[in-house]
Amino acid sequence: MGAFYYDSGIRAVNATLSTFLLLSVPGLPLLLAFPALRSRLYWPCYIALLPALILLTVPMGVSIELPWLLLGSGLGIDGVGRLLLAMSVLLWTAAVTLLHTAKGKTVDDRLTTFFLLTLAGNLGVILATELVGFFAFSALMGYGFYALLVAGGDERTRRAARVYLVFLILADLALFEALLIAAATTEDLGFEAVRQAMAQSPSSTLYLSMVLAGFAAKAGVWPLHFWLPLAFGSSRPAMTLLLGAVPVAIALLGVVRWLPLGETSLPALGLIIQGMGVVAMLYAILAGVERAQLKMLPAYATIFATGLFVTTLGTGLNDPAVWSRQGNLAYFFIVSLGFGVAVLVVTIGWLQARYHYPAKPEKKADDSSPWFERWPSAVMRWAAQMGVGILPRLRAAWRAKVGRLRQVRAWQRILDGCERSLQRWTFAITLFLLLASVITFVMAFVGVSS
Amino acid sequence: MSWNAGLPLLVLASSLLPGLVIFFLPEERVATRTSLNLAGAALKLVLVGVMIWGVFHGHHYETRLPLLPELDLVLRADALSVLFVTLSAVLWLATTVYAIGYLEGSPNRSRFFGFFSLCVTATVGVALAGNLITFVLFYELLTLATYPLIVHRGTEVARRAGRTYLIYTVAGGALLLIGTVWLYTLTGTLEFTARGFLSSLDESQHRVLVIIFVLLIAGPGVKAALVPLHGWLPQAMVAPAPVSALLHAVAVVKAGAFGIVRVVYDVYGIQFAASLGVTLPLAIVAAVTIIYGSMRALFQDDLKRRLAFSTVSQVAYIVLGIAVVGPIATIGGLVHLVHQGVMKITLFFCAGNLAETLGIHKVSEMNEVGQRMPWTMVAFTVGVFGMIGVPPLAGFISKWYLGLGALDAGQGWVIFILAGSSLLNAAYFLPILYAAWFKAPADTWPAERSFGRRETAWALLAPPLVTALLTLALGLLASAPFSPLQWAHFITTLEYAP
Repeated sequence: MGAFYYDSGIRAVNATLSTFLLLSVPGLPLLLAFPALRSRLYWPCYIALLPALILLTVPMGVSIELPWLLLGSGLGIDGVGRLLLAMSVLLWTAAVTLLHTAKGKTVDDRLTTFFLLTLAGNLGVILATELVGFFAFSALMGYGFYALLVAGGDERTRRAARVYLVFLILADLALFEALLIAAATTEDLGFEAVRQAMAQSPSSTLYLSMVLAGFAAKAGVWPLHFWLPLAFGSSRPAMTLLLGAVPVAIALLGVVRWLPLGETSLPALGLIIQGMGVVAMLYAILAGVERAQLKMLPAYATIFATGLFVTTLGTGLNDPAVWSRQGNLAYFFIVSLGFGVAVLVVTIGWLQARYHYPAKPEKKADDSSPWFERWPSAVMRWAAQMGVGILPRLRAAWRAKVGRLRQVRAWQRILDGCERSLQRWTFAITLFLLLASVITFVMAFVGVSS
Repeated sequence: MSWNAGLPLLVLASSLLPGLVIFFLPEERVATRTSLNLAGAALKLVLVGVMIWGVFHGHHYETRLPLLPELDLVLRADALSVLFVTLSAVLWLATTVYAIGYLEGSPNRSRFFGFFSLCVTATVGVALAGNLITFVLFYELLTLATYPLIVHRGTEVARRAGRTYLIYTVAGGALLLIGTVWLYTLTGTLEFTARGFLSSLDESQHRVLVIIFVLLIAGPGVKAALVPLHGWLPQAMVAPAPVSALLHAVAVVKAGAFGIVRVVYDVYGIQFAASLGVTLPLAIVAAVTIIYGSMRALFQDDLKRRLAFSTVSQVAYIVLGIAVVGPIATIGGLVHLVHQGVMKITLFFCAGNLAETLGIHKVSEMNEVGQRMPWTMVAFTVGVFGMIGVPPLAGFISKWYLGLGALDAGQGWVIFILAGSSLLNAAYFLPILYAAWFKAPADTWPAERSFGRRETAWALLAPPLVTALLTLALGLLASAPFSPLQWAHFITTLEYAP
């Protein structure tokens, strides 16, 4: 009897410690983020990493259910999660070290806050055991990373951030739709349960497309990669160091966690995805060679790596047995990608500092797109020329109309005018209704009393 | 009078009596006025807490007073009314604290707080109304109590906004009254009943019932700012910030949305309304309102006007949730009644802080205001992300249930409305955040007031921080017992029980 109480006591203590530890991994950075709002100190970032570091030393898998959290959530860590967490802790520590200036302060008041918010999201995503938690933490991470890119960044980085934000919003919309489809199929939104349910579901193709589109936009997979080269061009090494591990690697993790890979066979979609992956790799090689900028190498290496991942994914959808056998390698690939990009960034930074290697070759000093990315504008120009040649009147009429449509203020005036005239009529309607009310009242009371 | 019969009346009196006393207080009795305001708000909160506990445990709270022959004034606490009463009680306390700070040193405060309390009394009456005639009475009282608050500043613009408000809402009230009387002549009763009281009427009267439905929805539809009945709301933003908060989150707009919920559920019954074919047109009106409100918000430079159009859009989510017809969407609609209130009041408090502290009224004046007023802008940021529906904030929970409910009810088109609205929300809210946090600052603020080392007065800063925390808590702890989400589950179980 005593042994039983002892065992249950130990279990209760273990459960409490697990809950505390797992919650504090994303919770402590969040708690530290807001007091840091008006300070340029960087050390809260190191403190925020402590719970994650302690969790890495726990020798066994830990998981907790949190039925009161969000729509019923959970956090946990297994072997794969441990690997990802270790990568994150290492890279974030390196990034924080690069964050502060020689005087021991960050360059911008709010950088520490944005760092901590992104960190909380990043660590939370790794620990999430179900879709909604993953989605929530990845949203926090995404918006935090956007703020990191924008805060104090140069115009080029801000441009990257703007494009990233647009993709982020669209990606979250697609993932939200995917979540709804999953929730309509199964009540249990744990990764394993969703994978099994969606493998059998008639909506699996739609779900798959939404998830792929969402995470592809977040990871900057070709052809949704525009922000990546711009962001890698950022002058702040702490950001570029994290680019591979934070937005890209976590989005790829999402693909592996959310999709019923190895359990569903969609040959047609698989073939299309494979094709896109191959094109992405070709693009990365061509663009990398054409741009020939040392600083941009990590960007095109990332696009190449995500292309390779997409090709493998397509193969897995084509032949689920392949993914069942080799699927676990995907996690190692994600970790390698995060580390690889960081190492590349650091090495290039060191080379540039050591040998004064020019950031941009003289031949290509501008930031314009490679020649094979300029076709949409070429097509537009051609179409415009054709319009002038063939249908000059039609084009002139359209231009006038489009010009008018573009005048937002004109639209506003129209709508304001509509609302004002409606208000004028409301006065007349009010008088009429008051009269009608009196008549109805009188008639009703006459009816009731008779 | 027993405790169960007296409790609804006590809840009503907890704001009515302080309000009546405040009317007669001289301007300089600041401490007495503040004590009365806060004591009334705190007492209401306690009484509402007792009411929640009682309703959950099956207690029946009802006050019945004779009004007309065969028509009583009925105040009743049921699960739905408790949801609305709790919202208004909690937010009234926050708004009272805010209003005390906001109006410090300004003239006519006794008049303001008198009508302020009367306004909340009317809202509680609307929430607790046990029949349609009681609802109409308090609904009209709300119109009359709010008008002096809108014109409080006495400027020409304020008077014009007040006139427009009165014209719209009196017209809406008249429609509601006509519908109510007409309905009474058909049924001889106006008692709110779970799952409605009209399904037993003869089929030959169904066409008339459709016309009455239009009247009963158009009436509250004015206060709920359904397009094209929304014109008064953007104009009313000239009112002081606490009044805007009251209009948009606590009282007026919410009373309209709540009225629509009452008519659909407890007069017609959702299934009967669906069988009459009136729910789909209602859903379409709500969808049009959602998109139209967001489109109009996109082009507004005036911050409060942008927020006003956002309210037009967001309140229609409640109506959409009801009109989709299904238990899950109903949960989404009901829970949004609370969530929208908490999120929107946060935004209006923050807008008020910017205006009072720095003289900022326009989005174009907000460049890097986050640096000057970080805590206000943190609260604003939380409110904005909640509105967009970013997890884990309150708005995400609403959109989740609305989307899931639409799929469950086989109304897939609603998903596109939700997606479009989220995109538009992001398009008109995120530029504000970008300007506030990242744009290069202007040299001077339009009209800066100094509060020493603090960014603004505590009474102005605490309410938005509390409501921002609530926005986070309502999402994060959505599955906890007694959360609005769980309460909405409870109401829906009663409405859809076999």
